[in-house]
Amino acid sequence: MKTISKDILKKAASKLLFDMTEAQYALLEDEFGTLLSQMDLIGKIPDIDSVAPMTFPFDTGNAFMREDVPEAPALVSDILKNAGHVEDDQIKLPKVVG
Amino acid sequence: MSYLDLTIKEIHEALVARLVTPIELVKEALERAKANTDNAFEIILEQEALAQAAMLLEPEVDNMLWGIPYVAKDNFSTKDIPTTGGSNILTGYVPLFDATVITRLKEKHAILIGKTTLDELAMGGTGKSGHKGKTFNPYDKTKQRMIGGSSSGSAAAVCAGIVPFALGSDTGDSVRKPASYAGLVGMKPTWGRISRYGLFPFAPSLDHVGFLTRSAYDAALVLNALAKSDKYDATCSDTPAIDYTNSINQPIAGKRIAIIEEIVKSKHRPEVIKAFEAIVEQLKNDGAIVTIVKFRRDLLEAIFPIYITISCAEATSNAANLDGIKFGPATWGTTYEDAMRNARTAGFSELIKRRFVIGSYALLRENQEVLFLRAQKGRRLIVEELNKIYQDHDLILAPAAPSIAPKFEDKTDQLSDEYLIADNHLVLGNFGGFPGVTLPLGKLNDMPFGIHVMGRPFEEGLVLAASQAIENHTGLRNMIAPKEVNL
Repeated sequence: MKTISKDILKKAASKLLFDMTEAQYALLEDEFGTLLSQMDLIGKIPDIDSVAPMTFPFDTGNAFMREDVPEAPALVSDILKNAGHVEDDQIKLPKVVG
Repeated sequence: MSYLDLTIKEIHEALVARLVTPIELVKEALERAKANTDNAFEIILEQEALAQAAMLLEPEVDNMLWGIPYVAKDNFSTKDIPTTGGSNILTGYVPLFDATVITRLKEKHAILIGKTTLDELAMGGTGKSGHKGKTFNPYDKTKQRMIGGSSSGSAAAVCAGIVPFALGSDTGDSVRKPASYAGLVGMKPTWGRISRYGLFPFAPSLDHVGFLTRSAYDAALVLNALAKSDKYDATCSDTPAIDYTNSINQPIAGKRIAIIEEIVKSKHRPEVIKAFEAIVEQLKNDGAIVTIVKFRRDLLEAIFPIYITISCAEATSNAANLDGIKFGPATWGTTYEDAMRNARTAGFSELIKRRFVIGSYALLRENQEVLFLRAQKGRRLIVEELNKIYQDHDLILAPAAPSIAPKFEDKTDQLSDEYLIADNHLVLGNFGGFPGVTLPLGKLNDMPFGIHVMGRPFEEGLVLAASQAIENHTGLRNMIAPKEVNL
């Protein structure tokens, strides 16, 4: 069975670009005890590695080359309405270089 | 009696007979929505709904959804209407387009009167994790029992008699489990039967659009409106849809129904099993051929861990665009990564962060093979077993949930049969994309509980026919929670 530590959880959270409090990590570490026991049930299936992973229920058969039909794109002004920081018709971000 | 308390079919007949008008229906639906105390609504669309209703003057005899008020879960994109997914990470987000299902219902002149609460980003089954707090079960006036999730507000709105139908989404059982707790018909058609364009993705290999109604016939009506191919969704099937209001009338005599012994024998309330066995006998009397079948127990016990691993892993990718920059809370930082981190730290609740960490953990390089890929392999083994059953059977029948709606503070041993099998087997339908309907089976302590019917892909007509046969036997059609209950 896989083991867990707060450092591993912090590594996983860091990849997701959010922070959690120490108390939240402690709760999560506790929850992982049960979760890993549940996940262990998958590893106990004797023929688990006899098949390929299933990524979708089935092919829907809806892949086709559509006709090129011109469509009006969304207006920049409309798109920018949802952004919090806008300058000169562009979304503004903290400076990256320079 | 209010026309709003009727089924879609009956309301349509009243509209055509000019006994009621769309504007009268909408006004009453809005009043009920505003008076609702179950926390069913993210937003009530009073002006928009009244304006649309005012334009509907000439009843369309052949359009059963003309003038019918409805609600949609707040994870369907609605043009110019705020859409939050039940999360603060989408505070202030206003989509630029309608989800295809919203477009289809507009074309039918159904009237959207509100967007409903949900578990945050549809990632829960309790109806208590959304940013607006708990959604309550209208049957329990003490506000102690959940309605389930994640389509919690949609279920509450139909259950409380505010509207006769609602849109929801179903990744594990998020339409069909609340239906059981709310005495409703909850349908999740075949994966690909209904376009998901404009539905906020949770786990695309499992996500389905679904809906809640108060009768099996109404479910057929709504499915007729929604089941079409869609050039905007490459996973939407081009398999021709049929008229489900015709196929619902096919006899079930001679149809072969399987009952998975291990599911029925996992821990359910005795009253649920008694009602289930009684309906099975009645279906036999109708001429259905019912067989008890065996299923590998090791696979059934792995349903929940397989689901949680796959769904959380897929969710981490789908939520990667929720950065607070293009939309959502306008936070700032010294770098763009800081800005994203600040938005995501503030925008996601603690519960959803934990779910994401589970997904991220399963996807760590050192865990992928043992956790994520093995979960996907387990899914295949389960679907192969189900397909073996479908070689000799047309339908699979099961109790939809172990009991009535739990109380919010109830705890279940998460390694027990009750939790691993009885409480989670509906996700079998998501693993294989099989169409499924939950509908009312009985009541216990004045709280409803349901039964689940599942069929082969694209055989929604037969699933609905069996559902209607069950409904005829139970007589539990058009159930609405009592408006007043003595505490």
